[in-house]
Amino acid sequence: MSKNFLCHDFKSPRTDISRRLPGTMKIVPILFYGVLAMSAYFGIRDITDLKSADAERLASVAKKTEIEAAKTKLDLERIQIETEQFRGEGLAKWVEGTRSLQPATVAIARSVPPEVSINELFFERSADLPAQVSLTLRMTNGGPSDLAKIEDTLRRLRYRSHSPQQQRQGELVEYHSMLVWQDQ
Amino acid sequence: MLPDIKSVLTFAAFRPDADDPEISWNTRFEGTKTLLLNVSRSHVSWRSYNRRGKLDASGTSEGDLAEVTSQNAEEWRSLSDGGWCAVSLNNRFIISLESNIMRADNCSQLLRTNPRSVLGPKYDRGKRYAIYHHPDSPASMLLACEDSMVKVTEDVLRGAGLKPGRVCCGLFAMMEHALISIYSSQRGQPVPSLVLIAACEGSVAALAQQDGQWRDLRCRSGLGPEGIETALQIISPLVAKAPPGTPVFFVSDGQDQRFRKDLMDQLERVGARDLTQDDLLWKVIGSH
Repeated sequence: MSKNFLCHDFKSPRTDISRRLPGTMKIVPILFYGVLAMSAYFGIRDITDLKSADAERLASVAKKTEIEAAKTKLDLERIQIETEQFRGEGLAKWVEGTRSLQPATVAIARSVPPEVSINELFFERSADLPAQVSLTLRMTNGGPSDLAKIEDTLRRLRYRSHSPQQQRQGELVEYHSMLVWQDQ
Repeated sequence: MLPDIKSVLTFAAFRPDADDPEISWNTRFEGTKTLLLNVSRSHVSWRSYNRRGKLDASGTSEGDLAEVTSQNAEEWRSLSDGGWCAVSLNNRFIISLESNIMRADNCSQLLRTNPRSVLGPKYDRGKRYAIYHHPDSPASMLLACEDSMVKVTEDVLRGAGLKPGRVCCGLFAMMEHALISIYSSQRGQPVPSLVLIAACEGSVAALAQQDGQWRDLRCRSGLGPEGIETALQIISPLVAKAPPGTPVFFVSDGQDQRFRKDLMDQLERVGARDLTQDDLLWKVIGSH
């Protein structure tokens, strides 16, 4: 069969025959369907991504809540530790602060004879005037000579006694004095 | 506007119009069923192409077209998607030799729309025309078919719900096809002499070429099965006039095998070469 042969045709001619569009114009519907397919692809991908992002967000929120609960717990523990630390530091400071008074305490205890008993011994130091210590002593069976020994002992330890006061109620003697540390 | 957009998006705008005669039949109707009809004076034969492009159902019926159409319209519609059919007219036509007819690229289109511009004074308003030009000489074969015959055929088929997408002359198409095959087989070398005899359902045509020129053409349409003697009377002078050794080619198709055999028996005496193939008519009008 000859490929270049086109059979003749003498049918009644039609004037409204539409010529086919050139093949290159097929790019238009191809692009249209391409864009449609790409839109569908990106749409589906975006929806899938949105769903997975939502799931991730929920997981993150749950994780955040969990972490916040853990953080709150840790904060409570930290506050507890800090309180303990504060208390410990207070105790350490107190111990450190009383270290300079320990020789005075020992000296007072050794300066009184065995028959005299010390009921109470207070040292109070003001934070504003750390060089001054208020001494309060309550003892039984003691007398002015014992108090003089105590003052001598404190003087040897470089504490000068200011405005000492003593009161006697039966066998109980109460002694107040403001001790001032003499640096030289 | 909307139908145009739809036709672009469905790629229909890039497919040829079913009615476009400038496009081959199988290109226009690729993947669809079509009906092929061969209308003779006293009978109509038909075949169909299925969607795979293979020849399928066939049939023949005695009677004129209107009568046969009324009997077979339903079957014919079922053999065609959309009712499209190609029609070969096998009577009331004449083929003649002409010379110096205009040869332009749009000649075949002009012949359909404005035949006077192609044929000049040879134009007859009561005819429809087709033309085949000799490749190496100014001669042309001109087919003239009765305009009323074409119109009646179209009207009858439209009335039966069929759409004639092509109306042609099977005998002329077979001659065109045979000549193209013969000339192209020479690979550019001019063919000095030949005699071509074509027969289709009782119509016969004989063309003689000598010294590279078409010398004589004789044609008779609608002879019928009993016309073998008449056919031989038409053919014999041309064959007799041909110089010894001139190749004689024969192409034919049709339901009447006896007519063909009787003709070929006569032609075999002069060494005729039979170019006939199975279903040649249907392949020529339904594939090209």
